[in-house]
Amino acid sequence: MSESEDSKWGIAHVYASFNNTIITITDQTGAETLAKSSGGTVVKQNRDEASPYAAMQMAEVVAEKAKAQNIEGVHVNVRGPGGNQQKSPGPGAQATIRALARAGLEIGRIEDVTPIPHDGTRGPKNAGF
Amino acid sequence: MRVAVTGTPGTGKTTATERLATELDVIHLNDAIKREGLDDGVDEDRDSVVADFEAIESWLDGRDDVLIESHLAHHFDADRVIVLRAHPETIEERLADRDESDASIAENAESEALDVILTEAVESHGTDSVYEIDTTDRSRASVAEEIEAVVDGEREPSAGTVSFVEWL
Ligand SMILES: Nc1ncnc2c1ncn2[C@@H]1O[C@H](COP(=O)(O)OP(=O)(O)O)[C@@H](O)[C@H]1O
Ligand SMILES: [Mg+2]
Repeated sequence: MSESEDSKWGIAHVYASFNNTIITITDQTGAETLAKSSGGTVVKQNRDEASPYAAMQMAEVVAEKAKAQNIEGVHVNVRGPGGNQQKSPGPGAQATIRALARAGLEIGRIEDVTPIPHDGTRGPKNAGF
Repeated sequence: MRVAVTGTPGTGKTTATERLATELDVIHLNDAIKREGLDDGVDEDRDSVVADFEAIESWLDGRDDVLIESHLAHHFDADRVIVLRAHPETIEERLADRDESDASIAENAESEALDVILTEAVESHGTDSVYEIDTTDRSRASVAEEIEAVVDGEREPSAGTVSFVEWL
């Protein structure tokens, strides 16, 4: 994950809910959105097939858009335990990251920033992906 | 029979389970955790005690014919797991009324939008044991009635019937 001086890095935000995966790529500050999965629409994954296919397709599209804006690599923030967890953990998120890499983006640090429900008590640890 | 009633803070678990007509003993688990010291330290950032799941399991051991109410209830043995849902905006409004901090409101609303608790419940118990109830725009009484319907075996399991992800 070397960042040479003239390379431009972004952040890929992967939101993995129970039925859906959404991907956006922003600049390093998170302020400017450079690419959104199908213009903000959500691609439904077919839970029966447990197929991460939709997430992979979206990842390819956003990776192309980001590369067209001179993004060479992304740090990845994954939010959400979603994506057919009962079959295998987080294939939506994992497939997305693999697809971003396959589309030619360098992958930097991967962080699980899944929110933790709490109200004076909380669970012992965040369910990782 | 053991029934778990879970859901993101603000979905109305405590309110609904306080007005249930049921033979089951209702356990408000968050109160028990604090009262019995079933915790493992404090998360200062979230102003929350960290639940000790092993200690809770032994405390629950032998308690049958109970309804366990908590956003952690799905982490323990249960025959049926009810997941209360509410639109993230509704969560925000309800938690603001309860004077939660802005950071807590935001994190809980995002948890709801990402189906965090539903996914954990399905992961631990399978879709056959999970009963999702959308409480958005429903009265306290009708939510309580639907919980009773699940307890009485009058409702089919369901999961993934609501999606709030577009709110993100
Ligand atoms: N069905 C409902 N309609 C409107 N307000 C509700 C409903 N259920 C609960 N509330 C209100 O929302 C807030 C959160 O409810 P509470 O039962 O404490 O949620 P939880 O136990 O899931 O965190 C309370 O102020 C409560 O009065
Ligand atoms: Mg409560």
